[in-house]
Amino acid sequence: MTDLDIGNKLLVPLHVSYIKALGDSKDDLAYHLTAHLRMNAIYWGLTALCIMGHKDALDREEMIDFVMSCWDEQAGGFGAHPDHDAHILSTLSAIQILITQDALDRLDVDRVVKFILSLQQPSGVFAGDSFGETDTRFLYIAVNALSLLGRLSELDVERTVSYIRQCRNFDGGFGATAGAESHAAQVFVCVAALAILDRLDEVDQQTLCWWLSERQLPNGGLNGRPEKLEDVCYSFWVLSSLSILNKISWIDSEKLTSFILSAQDLETGGIADRPGDMVDVFHTHFGVAGLSLLGYPGLVDLDPVYCMPASIIEAKGLRKGWKALPRRSA
Amino acid sequence: MEDEPLFADRPEWADVVPLEQYEGVIPLAPIFYTNEYKDATNYFRGIVKTGEMSPRVLDLTENIIRQNPAHYSAWQYRYKTLIFLNAPLDVELRLMDELAVKYLKTYQVWHHRRLLVQQTKNPAPELEFIADSLQIDTKNYHTWSYRQWILAHFNDDALWSRELEFVESMLNYDLRNNSAWHHRFFVVFQSGVRKGDEDRAEVVRRELTFVKTKISTAPNNASAWNYLRGVLDHSKTPYSSLKSFVTPYSVPHSSHQDVTSEDIVDLENPLPSPGAQLPCVAAIEFMADAHESNGGDDLMRATELWRSLADEHDTMRKKYWEYRIKEALQNVR
Repeated sequence: MTDLDIGNKLLVPLHVSYIKALGDSKDDLAYHLTAHLRMNAIYWGLTALCIMGHKDALDREEMIDFVMSCWDEQAGGFGAHPDHDAHILSTLSAIQILITQDALDRLDVDRVVKFILSLQQPSGVFAGDSFGETDTRFLYIAVNALSLLGRLSELDVERTVSYIRQCRNFDGGFGATAGAESHAAQVFVCVAALAILDRLDEVDQQTLCWWLSERQLPNGGLNGRPEKLEDVCYSFWVLSSLSILNKISWIDSEKLTSFILSAQDLETGGIADRPGDMVDVFHTHFGVAGLSLLGYPGLVDLDPVYCMPASIIEAKGLRKGWKALPRRSA
Repeated sequence: MEDEPLFADRPEWADVVPLEQYEGVIPLAPIFYTNEYKDATNYFRGIVKTGEMSPRVLDLTENIIRQNPAHYSAWQYRYKTLIFLNAPLDVELRLMDELAVKYLKTYQVWHHRRLLVQQTKNPAPELEFIADSLQIDTKNYHTWSYRQWILAHFNDDALWSRELEFVESMLNYDLRNNSAWHHRFFVVFQSGVRKGDEDRAEVVRRELTFVKTKISTAPNNASAWNYLRGVLDHSKTPYSSLKSFVTPYSVPHSSHQDVTSEDIVDLENPLPSPGAQLPCVAAIEFMADAHESNGGDDLMRATELWRSLADEHDTMRKKYWEYRIKEALQNVR
């Protein structure tokens, strides 16, 4: 095969070894700077492996031990790393990892639910931690986590939805806070939260789906806002939203598929934000997740609402009415 | 910072017991710190444990933040310490002027600033600071949302008074800055009615004139077309009222030569700049929507335009245009 042929396929074995090797990068100086994302990174790595059908590539027991070592006893949530304070971002990742590894029995569900609910603000939005930064990302995380834990009934749904409503813009999209610009990643968190709450009637679907389809650029990649550059992670933010709203076919899937594949590193494995850039586990995960929604052959179905393997969500009875493209045969 | 001694070597820190970080061999999560970072964070864990809040904590947390601006616990503890010490927050803000620009994409930088300004209750200098930061990264999401927060949170007429001027300067610099277009909509339509803007019909006219001029300078600018649609939707103005403006943009250059000779003095409807790439997809789309809302015989004209988008001008979104055709025809029956 020539390089060109290789680049036209998802290099599963190479990506699996890339994710496995992340744990061995002992001399990587940049590593300490990402400690605040370590729990998320494990969730990204694990989910990408699940979607590629290699869940067992990472040791289950070690992973669960790591997750539990990040428990913040004082706050009742998880930090991103053993010595970090609890944050809602790492708390959701911890829950997702434990569920994926079928180890939810290790979790003090009541305390986590209490921690999450304590972060809701009078406006309905959620803070990420006691520092108080607010963002629709944190709102989605809270809704997602409560739903996964079967405790959505304890959420003040009206107040939550009314904040999302305040973030809706004239272009049909949603921003990070009330008044902020529409951004595809914020569209995903708002749409997915509304899907979980069965409140998709709050979305101006016609305008939003049009805006989302406009995110595709001539090279096939998707951007997050008009007149910005394409980036592999938007494959997930845009596709998941369109999939939830049942309009995923509005994206040219062939062009997007080749764009994602062209961002693979053919030597080290992993996927970058765009061709030629450095790969990382975040873009590897969202690239693979996008390909799964596009029906790429051989991949496992991903639930776009929860961003977890679809079979797990179905088994919990939480599947919503999303539609991905049919899985193609190789 | 390289020249500074480690905290372990500073006599004034000798009374603090540094706490080593969790040491275990954990695959997927090893962290190999520089000596400086390990040293500072060991002392940080030490003071968090004793609950110390003193001026030297400010030195320590600044040191950590400069090494790793995403260390949210360091930010949080720093803020608590500032408040506890009743430290001069304007001094802190000046430090933040430097750090925000250095770490423009870090969430914590902006949140810390929000907390400080909520204490000082002095938002005016912030607008200038934001304008300066935007010179470095004109589309930075955090910076723009911080500006929107300052305006809405303090909601002071003096703060709002020069916003349009500000947006115009940003758009003069880059006509395709979607953040600036969004901000304009936020200022004009989403944040209440300010003095001088009570005549809403006049405001809509002003905005239409503004956006038309910008479209004529750069017709293939999605942000400007979105803004135009936003203004029309918001004021419930029918799209068809803009047909004479949009038509020249929806056809190839050659065919609008005729239009030019007839409408040469029409200042309400500026023509596309001579070098513009035409027809413009957004204009065809706009015309189709205008026809569709008229209904009746115009519906066929809409479907013809959508067909031309699907087959010729915007083939990537073929599925979308075909959906529009199908929907429109279904509604007829």
